[in-house]
Amino acid sequence: MKKSISLLMVLALILSLFALVGCGGEEADDSALTVTVVVSAGFGDKSFNDSAKDGADRLAVDKGINVNYIECNNEGYKQKMMDAAEVSDVVVAVGWECYEIEEVAPEYPDTKFIFVDNPVENIADIPNLLCITYAQNEGSFLAGYIAASMSRTGVVGAVGGDDGDVIGDFLVGYEQGAKYANPDVRVETIIAGDYEDPALGKECALSLADKGADVIFNVAGNTGNGIFEAAQEKSFYAIGVDADQKLTNPEYDDVIICSMKKEVGQSIYDTIAALAENDTWEGGKILVTDMANGYISIAYGDEESTQQVPDSLKAEVEELAGKIVSGEIEVETTRG
Amino acid sequence: MNQILDVFNMGLLQNTLRSATPVILAAMGGLLTEHAGIMNIGMDGMILMGAFAAVAVSFALSSAAMGVAAAVAAGILAGLFFALFVVKLKSDEFIIGMALNTFAGALTVYLLRSIFGVKGTFSDKGIVGLPKVHLDVLDHIPFLGQLLNDNSIFVYVTWGIVFLTWLFLYRTPYGFWMRAAGEHPQSLETAGVSPVRMKFLASILCGILCGLAGAHLSLGYLTMFTEGMSGDRGFIAFACVLFGMANPPKVFLAALLFGFLQALGLRLQSAGVPADLTSIIPYASTVLMMVYVVVSGKKKKKKR
Repeated sequence: MKKSISLLMVLALILSLFALVGCGGEEADDSALTVTVVVSAGFGDKSFNDSAKDGADRLAVDKGINVNYIECNNEGYKQKMMDAAEVSDVVVAVGWECYEIEEVAPEYPDTKFIFVDNPVENIADIPNLLCITYAQNEGSFLAGYIAASMSRTGVVGAVGGDDGDVIGDFLVGYEQGAKYANPDVRVETIIAGDYEDPALGKECALSLADKGADVIFNVAGNTGNGIFEAAQEKSFYAIGVDADQKLTNPEYDDVIICSMKKEVGQSIYDTIAALAENDTWEGGKILVTDMANGYISIAYGDEESTQQVPDSLKAEVEELAGKIVSGEIEVETTRG
Repeated sequence: MNQILDVFNMGLLQNTLRSATPVILAAMGGLLTEHAGIMNIGMDGMILMGAFAAVAVSFALSSAAMGVAAAVAAGILAGLFFALFVVKLKSDEFIIGMALNTFAGALTVYLLRSIFGVKGTFSDKGIVGLPKVHLDVLDHIPFLGQLLNDNSIFVYVTWGIVFLTWLFLYRTPYGFWMRAAGEHPQSLETAGVSPVRMKFLASILCGILCGLAGAHLSLGYLTMFTEGMSGDRGFIAFACVLFGMANPPKVFLAALLFGFLQALGLRLQSAGVPADLTSIIPYASTVLMMVYVVVSGKKKKKKR
């Protein structure tokens, strides 16, 4: 009995902390838009979530927009989105876990919502909600092509964060691209089931290396940092994800050969900048960003980075990118 | 056949050793507090503090040994904090354990952001990791040599610690008093030994061992610190303590079994088992283990 009472007290304390988080952060400049970015996990993954933060940070600097952040740390998504909606003009929800946004958005018709990375089913009925999805399969196709071309063993690997549609989209594109470069290549994948456990990521990568994989694609956020470490230890190559990870993780420059860049931040930036400047709002729709409109690409770091991928291969990749944009190559997808 | 070999190979066993090590270390600490009559669910937080202290000091002083020392110091502090509230001030051990976990999670995030100015992950070439041990003798032994060689130094230290823990508990007066402090504190008091002091000792030793687990995680296993990198290993250690009935060799085996199941789960995926199912394996088996412990415990009581 004593325990259950004290448990309740702890819960109450924890909840009150969250309530405080919701209240803070509103700034004085009334004329500018207030944007709150709600991420399902936390910042610091140096890929997906940080890319979103980067886009929002630039909005604050360039356009004078008030930007707040809420990190859900994997719990209480709905409540935090509602807290955000109370105080902002635009709520940006990052991560599939925020799917309850389709229930939150209709309750706050005066607030605009952007849901990053996943569509919702009845989007057409919610004019104040915009979903942005990414053709990660297209970029992953190129990543797979590079992996298979760089592999000496004929085995390439990938570590995914979870078993959902988005990660699946990465993986089918990757496999197709690898097979396109070399029909005999073997593609081994492991789903880590966690985005925040680099020790687990390292184990996943090592077990792929056991199977002979010598290029491994990181599709697991923070868990993926363990892949890079395994790559340094066992001297194999890795491919970064979402951000240009040669730049975000310079300590692994020697093993990251390229990154499949998914410009989450830029897409948020462009959407909100258009709203702030021209009052343009394409609500009730799903905005698909892909290689054609420039949000998906392969990045090789900057001039100071080590370049493992030979220029000839880069040229081939460039050419393939053109074929994907023109529709000559159709990349498989798991997006609905 | 090939598929079976793909799953059950050397890598599986190496993976088992690696992923079991932090859990074993923490579980050795957990079983001491268990013997002393404290239900300690704060191990996860202790590991996390150890991991952070190890990385921070290793980076600042460019010395892995100092990093480990810092992790031990952080562990002692965490153990003292825990004992102060649970033993001295007689607060609820469950609450304090939870509080310690939440506190450690928040404190390390706060320090990471304020000292190093990074969020999420801190990995830098300046962090000095623990050395790996390579013995040439082992190269000549097939199979075992491959399995036992080239591990992080803590893998070997851990086996020694398991033995020492057993020695301490069952062959020294301190161990005897510690067990008495949990089982029958009144008699211990009559014998002129303070149970409170024994509980404090258990808690501090637990802190040290969890600190070492953290140092292994952030300097041996990886060379980076990530927010929440303990990854519930403290709770898994707690389950192992219960499953192994707080007996060091049994707890050691329980932790190895857990590491094995996790490693197996990763490998079964490439044999075509869906990821959702494989990630259940460690947790489903924990539940099964607990059922076994409870049922066998009841049988023993009946026999008496």
